[in-house]
Amino acid sequence: MNAAVTRPRPPRAARARSPLSLLHRWVAPDVFDFWATRLHPTWTWDRPLARIVDRQAQSRDAVTLLLQPNRHWRGFRPGQHVNLGVEIDGVRMTRSYSLSDAPRADGRIAVTVKHIEGGRMSRHLCQDARIGDVVDLGQAFGEMTWPQGAEDAWLFLAGGSGITPLMSLLRAHAANGMPTALTLLYWARNRDELCFVDELRALAQRFPQFTVHFVLTREREPAEGEHSGRIGSEMLSVLVPDLEQRAVYACGPGGFVDSARTLVASNARSFSAEAFTPPPASIDAEAGGHVEVTLAASGRTLSVPRGQSLLTALEDQGLKLASGCRMGICNTCACGKVSGTTRHLHTGDAIGEPVSALRLCVNAAASDLVLDL
Amino acid sequence: MTAPTAKQKHRNRPLTPAELDRFGEELDALRARTVATLGQRDADYIRTIVKAVRYMGVAGRALLFAGAILGSTLLPALFWPGCIAGTLLLALAKIMENMELGHNVMHGQYDWMRDPHLDGKTYEWDIAGTSDNWRKTHNYKHHTYTNVRGMDDDIGYGLLRIFPEQRWRPFYLVQPVVAVVFALLFEWGVAIQDLKVGRWLAGKTTHAQMRKALRPVARKMGRQVVKDYIVFPLLAGPFFLPVLLGNVVANVLRNLWTYMIIFCGHFTADAETFPKESVRNESRGHWYLRQLRGSSNIAGGRLLNVMSGNLSHQIEHHFYPDVPANRYSQMAIEVREICARYGQHYNTGSLPKQFGEVIWRIVRHAWPSRPRKLAPLVRQEA
Repeated sequence: MNAAVTRPRPPRAARARSPLSLLHRWVAPDVFDFWATRLHPTWTWDRPLARIVDRQAQSRDAVTLLLQPNRHWRGFRPGQHVNLGVEIDGVRMTRSYSLSDAPRADGRIAVTVKHIEGGRMSRHLCQDARIGDVVDLGQAFGEMTWPQGAEDAWLFLAGGSGITPLMSLLRAHAANGMPTALTLLYWARNRDELCFVDELRALAQRFPQFTVHFVLTREREPAEGEHSGRIGSEMLSVLVPDLEQRAVYACGPGGFVDSARTLVASNARSFSAEAFTPPPASIDAEAGGHVEVTLAASGRTLSVPRGQSLLTALEDQGLKLASGCRMGICNTCACGKVSGTTRHLHTGDAIGEPVSALRLCVNAAASDLVLDL
Repeated sequence: MTAPTAKQKHRNRPLTPAELDRFGEELDALRARTVATLGQRDADYIRTIVKAVRYMGVAGRALLFAGAILGSTLLPALFWPGCIAGTLLLALAKIMENMELGHNVMHGQYDWMRDPHLDGKTYEWDIAGTSDNWRKTHNYKHHTYTNVRGMDDDIGYGLLRIFPEQRWRPFYLVQPVVAVVFALLFEWGVAIQDLKVGRWLAGKTTHAQMRKALRPVARKMGRQVVKDYIVFPLLAGPFFLPVLLGNVVANVLRNLWTYMIIFCGHFTADAETFPKESVRNESRGHWYLRQLRGSSNIAGGRLLNVMSGNLSHQIEHHFYPDVPANRYSQMAIEVREICARYGQHYNTGSLPKQFGEVIWRIVRHAWPSRPRKLAPLVRQEA
């Protein structure tokens, strides 16, 4: 993934040989950042930060924040995500969001945040965040981007806030003149939860090779151009008769992506998906019981339920761990595993070897563990 | 003959194992209650300290430059006031950075904030010693094996005989002088503490091992020397000398102050040391009790708390090394009450009293001395 990420700055190894290298050894980043941020809120030595420069309501419960990253952010490819960090009650929280815009000339980036009931971070970004606020910004990650080899026709399946990375891909595609056919099926519960509706309709008018279908699962009376119901084979055969010729990207909640995979994966040319919600909270439910997790660096031993996400289990014990996407992508929560067996919550694979970076969010303890925490 | 000395004060009630467990549980509960309320005000507190350190440091250096440059040229009247005020302010900034900021951040007290600049594992402080060595000798060894003979290198720093349990050698006769020199050079002593120069000189470690261990230490020392004694003085051009001296004095003042505070923490008259056996299969309650018996507080106000990095609450710090230090004074009220209920002496006193006791120990144990009999920590049968 790194090879193709746009990188205005040379990698670290090259920088080290530059005349600045001497300076690098002598500057304390924390002291530099303290004084530089007095002058400008996002001037830092090497930390990527971004300032909120605009906010707009996108639907009943979603806002789009326009961010101006500082020079340490290395850019993104359409379809990728970033970790945003904000401080809430003294604690820095980090969550992953998809970038909804195509790369812009002014370097600004947009994230569309849906307010999730009980979500502190999404409430903060939707309600409390103000223009001028500064947020921590991670480098972009994610593999669902436009591939190098061109496909003939595409199908995007968006479930709820899964629209955001697909929107970024679509906008980039439109900016290139929509070179290949593209159909978007976009599910939401109610009409007022749909984002980007006017823009999508306008694009569909402008490009005959682009088609959009809005599908609402809880709206009683679908309006013109809307459909209703959950994803199913009958609906797909009507809306996408040429499925076997299309490459498919699906993005949305875990259950939506699972249904899409079952229905589409074997029929389409190719299928890729990213799920937004965390994996099933636990597996091996029948095995049950607790295991001992020893935290080698802090010398603590905790008892956690077998089969539960280690990140959740350790947080339940009061640990404040670094975390980001909580779905096994961003690597923020990764830590070394010295010994013990873990089971991957997505694939069910068991790993008994020591590993240098175990993603706590998508792995559960299958035996007693020793972690570098 | 081990005639019981008149000075011996049986102020500590030996606890039964069951009492010891409850003692530990009560202190654990206080910790849990405090940690549950950490939030914005603690984050604001440490950021205020960062701000104070930065602004005082810059103001101190600016005054020193003003005194040195203007005082030597246009405004001679500015020379001494500028140099003295600048040096004092710089010393205060260094003291606060080392103690309330660096020491506490490196304990991981503010890790819950997840601020990369306040991360206990990566913070690097403005002193000759490396943070990595400190995290090992202090956070791990000293805090885990507090005042355990042979395990806590901080007992006399391998240089002084503070406790009668340490074997006397004729070298200790000059320790009142050694102690003063050590105080003046304290940061350098701490910097080389983990190199174990004595073992190397005795041929117990190889030259290669020494070279490897020395590399990061020398790099950090070099960095501090270049920063304080070369770069900043040279910025004053021909008036480098007052700036250089100001930096030397500021660092020495910091050394003296930190030495005094740290020595008051574990070397007062009532502080005890423990044999290695005491930590074998140690219970949580016993660990707390050992921390209590080996530590001593300094009574004072808010200013003393801030300028000592809250090591004025050494007992609370040893109970809860990773709880934000700005909470210690509040926790101390309950800690004191718990100790009183369990009949345990809570060692505190004014700075002159506590440091007076330290000086007495250094002078007294320069001469041969015999350990007095101490009350045991635990009563065997219930």
